[in-house]
Amino acid sequence: MRVAGDWRGRILAEAAAATTHRPSELLAALKRVGVRVVVSVPDSWLGEFLVEIGRDPAVSLIRATHEEEALAIACGARLGGARSVLMIQNVGLLTMGAGMVCLAQRYQFPILILASYRGSPEDPVFYHIPKGRVTEPVLQGLGLGFALVRPERPIGSQVERAATYAEEASLPFVLLLSREDVHW
Amino acid sequence: MNRAVPARRDYYRVLAECLPKEALTVTALGNASYLWAVVRDAPENFYFEDAMGLALPFALGLAVAQPERKVVVVEGDGGLLMHMGVLVSVGAVAPRNLAILLVQNGVHAASGGQPVTSPSLDLAALGRCVNLKRADNIQSTEEFRTALVSVLQEDGPSLLALATEPDVDVVAPPVVFDPVATKRRFMDAIGAQGYVPTMFGGGVLADS
Repeated sequence: MRVAGDWRGRILAEAAAATTHRPSELLAALKRVGVRVVVSVPDSWLGEFLVEIGRDPAVSLIRATHEEEALAIACGARLGGARSVLMIQNVGLLTMGAGMVCLAQRYQFPILILASYRGSPEDPVFYHIPKGRVTEPVLQGLGLGFALVRPERPIGSQVERAATYAEEASLPFVLLLSREDVHW
Repeated sequence: MNRAVPARRDYYRVLAECLPKEALTVTALGNASYLWAVVRDAPENFYFEDAMGLALPFALGLAVAQPERKVVVVEGDGGLLMHMGVLVSVGAVAPRNLAILLVQNGVHAASGGQPVTSPSLDLAALGRCVNLKRADNIQSTEEFRTALVSVLQEDGPSLLALATEPDVDVVAPPVVFDPVATKRRFMDAIGAQGYVPTMFGGGVLADS
Protein backbone atom coordinates (compact mmCIF):
# COMPACT_ATOMS: atom_id res chain seq x y z
CA MET A 1 0.00 0.00 0.00
CA ARG A 2 1.33 3.43 -0.92
CA VAL A 3 0.72 5.89 1.87
CA ALA A 4 1.13 9.60 2.24
CA GLY A 5 4.26 9.17 4.33
CA ASP A 6 6.04 7.18 1.63
CA TRP A 7 8.03 10.23 0.56
CA ARG A 8 10.73 8.33 -1.29
CA GLY A 9 8.18 6.62 -3.52
CA ARG A 10 6.37 9.88 -4.13
CA ILE A 11 9.52 11.68 -5.19
CA LEU A 12 10.50 8.88 -7.53
CA ALA A 13 6.99 8.75 -8.89
CA GLU A 14 6.97 12.43 -9.59
CA ALA A 15 10.36 12.18 -11.30
CA ALA A 16 9.10 9.34 -13.48
CA ALA A 17 5.87 11.15 -14.27
CA ALA A 18 7.82 14.17 -15.39
CA THR A 19 9.61 12.20 -18.09
CA THR A 20 7.04 9.67 -19.29
CA HIS A 21 3.39 9.58 -20.18
CA ARG A 22 2.29 6.53 -18.30
CA PRO A 23 -1.07 6.06 -20.05
CA SER A 24 0.77 5.88 -23.39
CA GLU A 25 3.13 3.33 -21.90
CA LEU A 26 0.18 1.33 -20.62
CA LEU A 27 -1.52 1.35 -24.01
CA ALA A 28 1.70 0.29 -25.73
CA ALA A 29 2.08 -2.57 -23.26
CA LEU A 30 -1.43 -3.84 -23.99
CA LYS A 31 -0.58 -3.96 -27.67
CA ARG A 32 2.74 -5.68 -26.98
CA VAL A 33 1.07 -8.52 -25.14
CA GLY A 34 -1.40 -8.99 -27.98
CA VAL A 35 -4.63 -7.73 -26.44
CA ARG A 36 -7.39 -7.95 -29.04
CA VAL A 37 -10.46 -7.21 -26.95
CA VAL A 38 -10.89 -4.54 -24.28
CA VAL A 39 -14.16 -4.59 -22.35
CA SER A 40 -14.92 -1.53 -20.29
CA VAL A 41 -17.29 0.18 -17.94
CA PRO A 42 -16.37 3.83 -17.55
CA ASP A 43 -14.66 5.77 -14.82
CA SER A 44 -13.57 9.39 -15.10
CA TRP A 45 -9.91 8.35 -14.98
CA LEU A 46 -10.43 5.89 -17.85
CA GLY A 47 -12.48 8.00 -20.23
CA GLU A 48 -9.82 9.43 -22.51
CA PHE A 49 -7.79 6.24 -22.40
CA LEU A 50 -10.79 4.35 -23.77
CA VAL A 51 -11.18 6.92 -26.52
CA GLU A 52 -7.57 6.22 -27.52
CA ILE A 53 -8.21 2.47 -27.54
CA GLY A 54 -11.31 3.01 -29.63
CA ARG A 55 -9.15 4.62 -32.31
CA ASP A 56 -7.04 1.48 -32.68
CA PRO A 57 -8.40 -0.82 -35.40
CA ALA A 58 -6.42 -3.76 -34.01
CA VAL A 59 -8.36 -3.74 -30.76
CA SER A 60 -12.09 -4.30 -30.29
CA LEU A 61 -13.44 -2.01 -27.59
CA ILE A 62 -16.70 -3.20 -26.08
CA ARG A 63 -18.49 -0.79 -23.79
CA ALA A 64 -20.53 -2.97 -21.44
CA THR A 65 -23.41 -1.90 -19.23
CA HIS A 66 -22.23 -3.62 -16.03
CA GLU A 67 -18.94 -5.00 -14.77
CA GLU A 68 -20.16 -8.56 -14.28
CA GLU A 69 -21.44 -8.50 -17.85
CA ALA A 70 -18.07 -7.11 -18.93
CA LEU A 71 -16.27 -9.95 -17.21
CA ALA A 72 -18.40 -12.52 -19.01
CA ILE A 73 -17.77 -10.83 -22.36
CA ALA A 74 -14.04 -10.95 -21.69
CA CYS A 75 -14.21 -14.64 -20.77
CA GLY A 76 -16.13 -15.43 -23.94
CA ALA A 77 -13.58 -13.60 -26.04
CA ARG A 78 -10.79 -15.54 -24.36
CA LEU A 79 -12.61 -18.80 -25.09
CA GLY A 80 -12.50 -17.74 -28.71
CA GLY A 81 -8.75 -17.27 -28.53
CA ALA A 82 -8.57 -13.51 -28.10
CA ARG A 83 -6.54 -12.08 -25.27
CA SER A 84 -8.96 -9.82 -23.43
CA VAL A 85 -8.67 -7.14 -20.80
CA LEU A 86 -11.21 -5.51 -18.52
CA MET A 87 -10.90 -1.79 -17.81
CA ILE A 88 -13.15 -0.73 -14.97
CA GLN A 89 -13.33 1.23 -11.76
CA ASN A 90 -12.63 -0.74 -8.60
CA VAL A 91 -16.32 -0.59 -7.75
CA GLY A 92 -16.74 -3.16 -10.50
CA LEU A 93 -14.68 -5.60 -8.49
CA LEU A 94 -17.40 -5.36 -5.86
CA THR A 95 -20.26 -5.92 -8.29
CA MET A 96 -18.86 -8.86 -10.27
CA GLY A 97 -18.39 -11.35 -7.47
CA ALA A 98 -20.71 -14.10 -8.70
CA GLY A 99 -19.37 -14.05 -12.23
CA MET A 100 -15.85 -14.02 -10.90
CA VAL A 101 -16.22 -17.19 -8.84
CA CYS A 102 -18.79 -19.08 -10.95
CA LEU A 103 -17.37 -18.31 -14.38
CA ALA A 104 -13.93 -16.70 -14.55
CA GLN A 105 -12.33 -18.64 -11.72
CA ARG A 106 -14.37 -21.81 -12.07
CA TYR A 107 -13.52 -22.18 -15.76
CA GLN A 108 -10.03 -20.74 -15.29
CA PHE A 109 -10.08 -17.82 -17.67
CA PRO A 110 -6.90 -15.72 -17.65
CA ILE A 111 -8.35 -12.23 -17.72
CA LEU A 112 -6.26 -9.17 -16.97
CA ILE A 113 -8.31 -6.63 -15.04
CA LEU A 114 -7.07 -3.06 -14.98
CA ALA A 115 -9.00 -1.21 -12.30
CA SER A 116 -8.75 2.42 -11.35
CA TYR A 117 -8.21 2.45 -7.60
CA ARG A 118 -10.69 5.04 -6.41
CA GLY A 119 -11.00 5.88 -2.75
CA SER A 120 -7.50 4.73 -1.92
CA PRO A 121 -5.35 6.85 0.42
CA GLU A 122 -4.17 8.65 -2.70
CA ASP A 123 -7.71 9.36 -3.88
CA PRO A 124 -9.53 10.51 -0.76
CA VAL A 125 -12.79 11.51 -2.41
CA PHE A 126 -15.62 11.14 0.06
CA TYR A 127 -17.89 9.06 -2.14
CA HIS A 128 -15.07 6.82 -3.40
CA ILE A 129 -13.67 6.04 0.06
CA PRO A 130 -16.31 3.38 0.90
CA LYS A 131 -15.18 1.45 -2.18
CA GLY A 132 -11.49 2.04 -1.58
CA ARG A 133 -11.67 0.79 1.99
CA VAL A 134 -12.97 -2.63 1.02
CA THR A 135 -11.34 -3.21 -2.35
CA GLU A 136 -8.29 -5.14 -1.18
CA PRO A 137 -10.15 -7.19 1.46
CA VAL A 138 -12.72 -8.16 -1.17
CA LEU A 139 -10.00 -9.21 -3.61
CA GLN A 140 -8.42 -11.27 -0.87
CA GLY A 141 -11.78 -12.78 -0.01
CA LEU A 142 -12.33 -13.76 -3.62
CA GLY A 143 -8.89 -15.33 -3.72
CA LEU A 144 -7.91 -13.07 -6.60
CA GLY A 145 -4.31 -12.30 -7.40
CA PHE A 146 -3.73 -8.56 -7.48
CA ALA A 147 -1.06 -5.87 -7.27
CA LEU A 148 -0.88 -2.13 -6.93
CA VAL A 149 1.05 -0.42 -9.67
CA ARG A 150 4.34 0.84 -8.28
CA PRO A 151 4.72 4.47 -9.26
CA GLU A 152 8.51 4.44 -9.24
CA ARG A 153 8.66 1.77 -11.96
CA PRO A 154 7.66 1.99 -15.62
CA ILE A 155 4.08 0.83 -15.97
CA GLY A 156 4.56 -1.11 -19.19
CA SER A 157 6.57 -3.90 -17.64
CA GLN A 158 4.13 -4.12 -14.73
CA VAL A 159 1.23 -4.58 -17.14
CA GLU A 160 3.14 -7.24 -19.05
CA ARG A 161 3.90 -9.11 -15.85
CA ALA A 162 0.29 -8.90 -14.72
CA ALA A 163 -0.92 -10.25 -18.07
CA THR A 164 1.65 -13.03 -17.87
CA TYR A 165 0.61 -13.86 -14.33
CA ALA A 166 -3.00 -14.25 -15.44
CA GLU A 167 -2.03 -16.56 -18.29
CA GLU A 168 0.43 -18.67 -16.33
CA ALA A 169 -2.03 -19.03 -13.46
CA SER A 170 -5.03 -19.53 -15.77
CA LEU A 171 -6.90 -17.11 -13.57
CA PRO A 172 -7.94 -13.47 -13.56
CA PHE A 173 -5.43 -10.99 -12.16
CA VAL A 174 -6.16 -7.45 -11.01
CA LEU A 175 -3.80 -4.52 -11.40
CA LEU A 176 -4.92 -1.50 -9.38
CA LEU A 177 -4.10 1.76 -11.14
CA SER A 178 -3.53 5.24 -9.84
CA ARG A 179 -4.70 8.33 -11.67
CA GLU A 180 -1.27 8.98 -13.17
CA ASP A 181 -1.22 5.51 -14.72
CA VAL A 182 -4.31 5.88 -16.83
CA HIS A 183 -5.70 9.40 -16.92
CA TRP A 184 -4.84 10.51 -20.45
CA MET B 1 -48.32 -19.64 -20.22
CA ASN B 2 -50.00 -21.34 -23.13
CA ARG B 3 -49.70 -25.11 -22.54
CA ALA B 4 -50.03 -25.85 -26.26
CA VAL B 5 -46.62 -24.42 -27.01
CA PRO B 6 -43.71 -26.75 -27.77
CA ALA B 7 -41.45 -28.19 -25.12
CA ARG B 8 -37.80 -27.19 -24.92
CA ARG B 9 -36.91 -30.62 -26.29
CA ASP B 10 -39.01 -29.99 -29.41
CA TYR B 11 -37.15 -26.78 -30.13
CA TYR B 12 -33.82 -28.48 -29.48
CA ARG B 13 -34.60 -31.23 -32.00
CA VAL B 14 -35.17 -28.60 -34.67
CA LEU B 15 -32.03 -26.77 -33.65
CA ALA B 16 -29.98 -29.96 -33.87
CA GLU B 17 -31.33 -30.67 -37.34
CA CYS B 18 -30.62 -27.20 -38.68
CA LEU B 19 -27.39 -26.27 -36.97
CA PRO B 20 -24.31 -26.46 -39.20
CA LYS B 21 -21.34 -28.41 -37.88
CA GLU B 22 -19.12 -25.34 -37.69
CA ALA B 23 -21.57 -23.37 -35.55
CA LEU B 24 -20.69 -22.74 -31.92
CA THR B 25 -23.22 -23.01 -29.13
CA VAL B 26 -23.32 -21.55 -25.64
CA THR B 27 -26.07 -22.82 -23.36
CA ALA B 28 -27.17 -21.38 -20.01
CA LEU B 29 -27.28 -23.32 -16.77
CA GLY B 30 -29.69 -26.14 -15.98
CA ASN B 31 -31.73 -27.91 -18.61
CA ALA B 32 -30.62 -25.45 -21.26
CA SER B 33 -27.25 -27.19 -21.08
CA TYR B 34 -28.25 -30.63 -19.78
CA LEU B 35 -30.81 -31.24 -22.50
CA TRP B 36 -28.61 -29.83 -25.24
CA ALA B 37 -25.92 -32.30 -24.20
CA VAL B 38 -28.50 -35.08 -24.55
CA VAL B 39 -29.74 -33.93 -27.94
CA ARG B 40 -26.45 -32.92 -29.53
CA ASP B 41 -23.29 -33.12 -27.49
CA ALA B 42 -20.35 -31.76 -29.45
CA PRO B 43 -16.97 -30.20 -28.71
CA GLU B 44 -18.30 -26.95 -30.13
CA ASN B 45 -20.79 -26.74 -27.24
CA PHE B 46 -19.96 -24.61 -24.22
CA TYR B 47 -22.10 -25.56 -21.24
CA PHE B 48 -22.71 -23.21 -18.33
CA GLU B 49 -22.98 -25.03 -15.02
CA ASP B 50 -24.01 -21.86 -13.11
CA ALA B 51 -23.24 -18.14 -13.55
CA MET B 52 -26.88 -17.34 -14.18
CA GLY B 53 -27.44 -14.48 -16.59
CA LEU B 54 -23.97 -14.54 -18.07
CA ALA B 55 -24.40 -16.91 -21.02
CA LEU B 56 -25.42 -14.08 -23.36
CA PRO B 57 -22.55 -11.70 -22.57
CA PHE B 58 -20.18 -14.65 -22.74
CA ALA B 59 -21.52 -15.53 -26.20
CA LEU B 60 -21.13 -11.90 -27.26
CA GLY B 61 -17.42 -12.06 -26.42
CA LEU B 62 -17.08 -15.36 -28.25
CA ALA B 63 -18.81 -13.95 -31.32
CA VAL B 64 -16.41 -11.00 -31.38
CA ALA B 65 -13.39 -13.30 -31.11
CA GLN B 66 -14.68 -15.77 -33.71
CA PRO B 67 -16.35 -13.54 -36.32
CA GLU B 68 -16.33 -16.17 -39.06
CA ARG B 69 -18.37 -18.72 -37.13
CA LYS B 70 -22.01 -18.56 -36.20
CA VAL B 71 -22.48 -18.40 -32.44
CA VAL B 72 -25.84 -19.57 -31.11
CA VAL B 73 -26.62 -18.89 -27.47
CA VAL B 74 -29.54 -20.41 -25.57
CA GLU B 75 -30.57 -18.29 -22.61
CA GLY B 76 -33.75 -18.26 -20.55
CA ASP B 77 -36.10 -15.38 -19.84
CA GLY B 78 -35.07 -15.47 -16.16
CA GLY B 79 -31.40 -15.34 -17.07
CA LEU B 80 -31.94 -12.43 -19.43
CA LEU B 81 -33.78 -10.48 -16.75
CA MET B 82 -30.74 -10.75 -14.49
CA HIS B 83 -28.58 -8.87 -17.00
CA MET B 84 -30.92 -7.19 -19.41
CA GLY B 85 -28.35 -4.51 -20.14
CA VAL B 86 -26.41 -6.99 -22.23
CA LEU B 87 -29.08 -6.78 -24.91
CA VAL B 88 -28.08 -3.14 -25.33
CA SER B 89 -24.44 -4.20 -25.61
CA VAL B 90 -25.31 -6.76 -28.26
CA GLY B 91 -27.19 -4.13 -30.23
CA ALA B 92 -24.29 -1.71 -29.96
CA VAL B 93 -21.57 -4.19 -30.90
CA ALA B 94 -23.85 -5.76 -33.51
CA PRO B 95 -21.95 -8.98 -34.18
CA ARG B 96 -23.37 -10.31 -37.42
CA ASN B 97 -22.61 -13.91 -36.37
CA LEU B 98 -24.60 -13.98 -33.12
CA ALA B 99 -27.99 -15.64 -32.83
CA ILE B 100 -29.86 -15.52 -29.52
CA LEU B 101 -32.45 -18.16 -28.66
CA LEU B 102 -34.44 -17.06 -25.63
CA VAL B 103 -36.39 -19.85 -24.01
CA GLN B 104 -39.43 -18.11 -22.57
CA ASN B 105 -41.10 -20.41 -20.08
CA GLY B 106 -42.06 -17.75 -17.56
CA VAL B 107 -40.29 -19.43 -14.66
CA HIS B 108 -36.90 -19.96 -13.12
CA ALA B 109 -36.88 -23.61 -14.13
CA ALA B 110 -33.43 -24.42 -12.77
CA SER B 111 -34.37 -23.31 -9.27
CA GLY B 112 -37.68 -25.16 -9.09
CA GLY B 113 -40.10 -23.20 -11.22
CA GLN B 114 -40.64 -19.93 -9.39
CA PRO B 115 -42.26 -17.32 -11.66
CA VAL B 116 -39.91 -14.82 -13.23
CA THR B 117 -40.50 -11.16 -12.41
CA SER B 118 -42.52 -10.57 -15.56
CA PRO B 119 -43.44 -13.78 -17.36
CA SER B 120 -45.18 -12.29 -20.38
CA LEU B 121 -42.71 -9.73 -21.65
CA ASP B 122 -42.58 -9.17 -25.39
CA LEU B 123 -38.96 -10.23 -25.70
CA ALA B 124 -38.86 -9.70 -29.45
CA ALA B 125 -39.91 -6.10 -28.91
CA LEU B 126 -36.99 -5.72 -26.52
CA GLY B 127 -34.70 -7.06 -29.19
CA ARG B 128 -36.02 -4.66 -31.77
CA CYS B 129 -35.68 -1.62 -29.55
CA VAL B 130 -31.96 -2.31 -29.01
CA ASN B 131 -31.44 -2.48 -32.78
CA LEU B 132 -31.00 -6.19 -33.30
CA LYS B 133 -31.19 -7.08 -36.96
CA ARG B 134 -34.08 -9.44 -36.39
CA ALA B 135 -36.22 -10.34 -33.40
CA ASP B 136 -39.25 -12.63 -33.48
CA ASN B 137 -41.53 -14.26 -30.96
CA ILE B 138 -41.94 -17.94 -31.82
CA GLN B 139 -44.92 -20.11 -30.85
CA SER B 140 -44.42 -23.37 -32.75
CA THR B 141 -41.67 -25.63 -34.04
CA GLU B 142 -42.74 -24.92 -37.61
CA GLU B 143 -42.28 -21.20 -37.06
CA PHE B 144 -39.00 -21.91 -35.36
CA ARG B 145 -37.64 -24.02 -38.20
CA THR B 146 -38.43 -21.36 -40.78
CA ALA B 147 -37.00 -18.53 -38.69
CA LEU B 148 -33.94 -20.50 -37.63
CA VAL B 149 -32.97 -21.40 -41.18
CA SER B 150 -33.04 -17.71 -42.06
CA VAL B 151 -31.20 -16.67 -38.92
CA LEU B 152 -28.42 -19.16 -39.57
CA GLN B 153 -27.97 -17.90 -43.12
CA GLU B 154 -28.39 -14.17 -42.62
CA ASP B 155 -26.35 -11.60 -40.78
CA GLY B 156 -27.37 -10.89 -37.19
CA PRO B 157 -27.50 -10.19 -34.43
CA SER B 158 -30.84 -11.89 -34.15
CA LEU B 159 -33.15 -13.00 -31.40
CA LEU B 160 -35.80 -15.67 -31.42
CA ALA B 161 -37.96 -15.84 -28.29
CA LEU B 162 -39.22 -19.40 -27.98
CA ALA B 163 -42.51 -19.73 -26.10
CA THR B 164 -42.45 -22.98 -24.18
CA GLU B 165 -43.78 -24.72 -21.11
CA PRO B 166 -41.72 -24.95 -17.93
CA ASP B 167 -39.47 -28.00 -17.63
CA VAL B 168 -38.52 -28.14 -13.99
CA ASP B 169 -37.52 -31.82 -13.92
CA VAL B 170 -33.77 -31.93 -14.19
CA VAL B 171 -32.49 -33.81 -17.21
CA ALA B 172 -29.46 -35.99 -16.56
CA PRO B 173 -26.69 -34.99 -18.95
CA PRO B 174 -24.85 -37.82 -20.71
CA VAL B 175 -21.46 -36.21 -20.25
CA VAL B 176 -19.53 -34.93 -17.27
CA PHE B 177 -19.81 -31.17 -16.97
CA ASP B 178 -16.25 -30.52 -15.93
CA PRO B 179 -15.77 -26.77 -16.43
CA VAL B 180 -12.12 -26.78 -17.41
CA ALA B 181 -12.51 -29.87 -19.59
CA THR B 182 -15.46 -28.22 -21.31
CA LYS B 183 -13.37 -25.13 -21.99
CA ARG B 184 -10.36 -27.05 -23.28
CA ARG B 185 -12.45 -29.32 -25.47
CA PHE B 186 -14.12 -26.31 -27.00
CA MET B 187 -10.89 -24.38 -27.60
CA ASP B 188 -9.22 -27.41 -29.13
CA ALA B 189 -12.19 -27.95 -31.44
CA ILE B 190 -12.06 -24.44 -32.84
CA GLY B 191 -8.29 -24.10 -32.84
CA ALA B 192 -8.45 -21.13 -30.48
CA GLN B 193 -5.16 -19.70 -29.42
CA GLY B 194 -3.84 -21.07 -26.16
CA TYR B 195 -1.05 -19.81 -23.97
CA VAL B 196 2.48 -21.17 -24.14
CA PRO B 197 4.02 -20.92 -20.65
CA THR B 198 7.05 -18.67 -20.38
CA MET B 199 9.11 -21.52 -18.97
CA PHE B 200 8.78 -23.36 -22.27
CA GLY B 201 9.89 -20.45 -24.37
CA GLY B 202 6.49 -18.97 -24.90
CA GLY B 203 4.82 -16.28 -22.89
CA VAL B 204 2.64 -15.60 -25.88
CA LEU B 205 -0.61 -16.80 -27.35
CA ALA B 206 -0.09 -19.43 -29.99
CA ASP B 207 -2.32 -21.49 -32.22
CA SER B 208 -3.27 -24.65 -30.38
